[in-house]
Amino acid sequence: MADLALSRPRIRPGTPVAALVLGAAVGAVLLVPLLLPLDQSAVALDRTTLPPSPAHPGGTDDLGRDVLHRSIYGLRVSLLVGVVAAVAAALVGGLIGGLAGLLGGWVDRILMRVIDTISALPHLLLGIFIVAMLRPGLGAVILSIGLTHWLSTARIVRSELLSLRTRPFIDAAIAGGAGRTRILTRHLLPHVLPKIALAVTLMIPHAVWHETSLSFLGLGLPPHLASLGNMINDGQRSLLAGAWWSSIVPGAVIVAVTLAIAALAGRWRDHLDPRVRAELNL
Amino acid sequence: MKNLLVIEGLGVRFRLRDATVHAVSDLDLTVRPGELLAVVGESGCGKSVLAHALLGLLPANALVTGRALLHPARPAAPGPSTQRRTLPRWSSVLPRPAGDRAESRRGSSGWSSRLSRRLRDSAEHQPEGTGAGGGGVGSGGAVDLLACGEKVLARSVRGRRIGLIPQSPATALTVVRTGRRLLAETLTAHGRDPGLAAQVAIEAGLDPADLERYPFELSGGMAQRLATALALATDPPLLIADEPTSGLDRPLVDHTLDLLRRRCDAGAAVLLITHDLAAAERVADTVAVMYASRIVEHRPAADLFRSPAHPYTQALLNALPDRDFTPLPGHPPMLTALPPGCAFAARCPRVSETCATRPSGPVACHHPLVEVPA
Repeated sequence: MADLALSRPRIRPGTPVAALVLGAAVGAVLLVPLLLPLDQSAVALDRTTLPPSPAHPGGTDDLGRDVLHRSIYGLRVSLLVGVVAAVAAALVGGLIGGLAGLLGGWVDRILMRVIDTISALPHLLLGIFIVAMLRPGLGAVILSIGLTHWLSTARIVRSELLSLRTRPFIDAAIAGGAGRTRILTRHLLPHVLPKIALAVTLMIPHAVWHETSLSFLGLGLPPHLASLGNMINDGQRSLLAGAWWSSIVPGAVIVAVTLAIAALAGRWRDHLDPRVRAELNL
Repeated sequence: MKNLLVIEGLGVRFRLRDATVHAVSDLDLTVRPGELLAVVGESGCGKSVLAHALLGLLPANALVTGRALLHPARPAAPGPSTQRRTLPRWSSVLPRPAGDRAESRRGSSGWSSRLSRRLRDSAEHQPEGTGAGGGGVGSGGAVDLLACGEKVLARSVRGRRIGLIPQSPATALTVVRTGRRLLAETLTAHGRDPGLAAQVAIEAGLDPADLERYPFELSGGMAQRLATALALATDPPLLIADEPTSGLDRPLVDHTLDLLRRRCDAGAAVLLITHDLAAAERVADTVAVMYASRIVEHRPAADLFRSPAHPYTQALLNALPDRDFTPLPGHPPMLTALPPGCAFAARCPRVSETCATRPSGPVACHHPLVEVPA
């Protein structure tokens, strides 16, 4: 097996770049708040809309705030929300998909129709609805993502369970006297967990985008707090004045980081299921 | 000696969209403690379905009729292997509407039948704590495997009173754990010392060093021996071995068969399902020949191999390389369209008009080669 894995040309040029970008992003998000704390409400009206320079690599916005510094703070929020919401969505999806796959019958049919119905609505619209019903803040954003992004995980878990249930080793375990709990925890879960973990990882970029979209629309964090969506929205005002950096820098940060996560997650999926890789490579 | 397993009138049918498959029809069998019963027959004659029916492992579209009484192995004090349960407290392992004969016979399935089964099982469960079995209690503390429901099967029968060596073991092993961990887990779950893993493996002919491998790293024969070791680990009074020698070369076949023989000599019973007549001849006490879902000849092995009574048995024996090496012409009838009379009539050299009615008895033939008293 080890030989087989090594002989596969797995490392593609994008992978190290993605790893580097993600590593830099995570490093910045962890270190910058420690080394260079940001006063979120501070403004410096003597140096508004300065173009990128050695002192301000990302320039400053119309209130004189350092764009790159704020972008890193915004990324911190986005990644936190992305990871927590993706895990929450996977938990919901795993639970519902698990119920559908294990209980089958009417439970399965009803749950799957519910999933189809929710799928028919645009995620963002539903997310906005959920946020609008709640007190604004991180919790509302996470809930909004968690409740709209579990559908694919539920489908994955359900289909995995349905196919696992018919596998001979499950029959053999039952014949050996294993009970329902044991079958679930010792025989089914080990096969489903990697898929759920992969689903979480693939969902992080989606969750980050969702959070940014909500913030951009003014439904996420309060406007004075640095968040990538808030910053892109704020930057619009300066765009016409020629200060392109105030929107482009936070935009570039989010694109680079989410692409890096998606690329790494894609590599992982290829590793788990080479058949899918072959299809994607076409 | 008292019977361990008594199967009476077992029938298994599968409902398909446009047909009904008669996999097992009117099957009567008994297994005594210490007996090695070989069920032989061509592929697709219903042998494996018989094994799965006894363990309640049939799919949802199966209709099961008849009785299969499993008597306690040691009537005075139920065997330790039935008592030392540390395992499941839930009823069914996974939803398998077919696990409940009564429900499936009524044709219901899905949620409602599961719910009702669960309710019924919980009601029936009370007397089960004695180890003799709860629902479907027959005479003398016996369990009717076909009527007792998932809960009794899962809690006190499968693995404890009936072990199964599954067919195609390479796919019957959970791939995420090594052989040693699978064995140790099984031993622990049945209240035995997990340190016995190596010993059980050696007994099954598996090198203990191979226990460190994952199932997908094992060859077919090694996986077969690991599956055998797993079934033996629970030390059940009745062992159902579904083609336990497929994929093994001759010395290992002999090793496995001798292992089964020794179990019987020690007082356990084995139901050996095989299409390997040489294997049956080597170890079986009694042989039941199945043809097109029915048992056509059920006799002591020595008699059957010396002077087969049913023309089909003779044809099977004649097909052996060390006998005539003459294959039987024709094909068995489709299990969806069994003839009303003798199913073998179409291929039988001794066929006559009376064969349009179904024969019965230990030799189900109107014109047996030798007369066998009923």
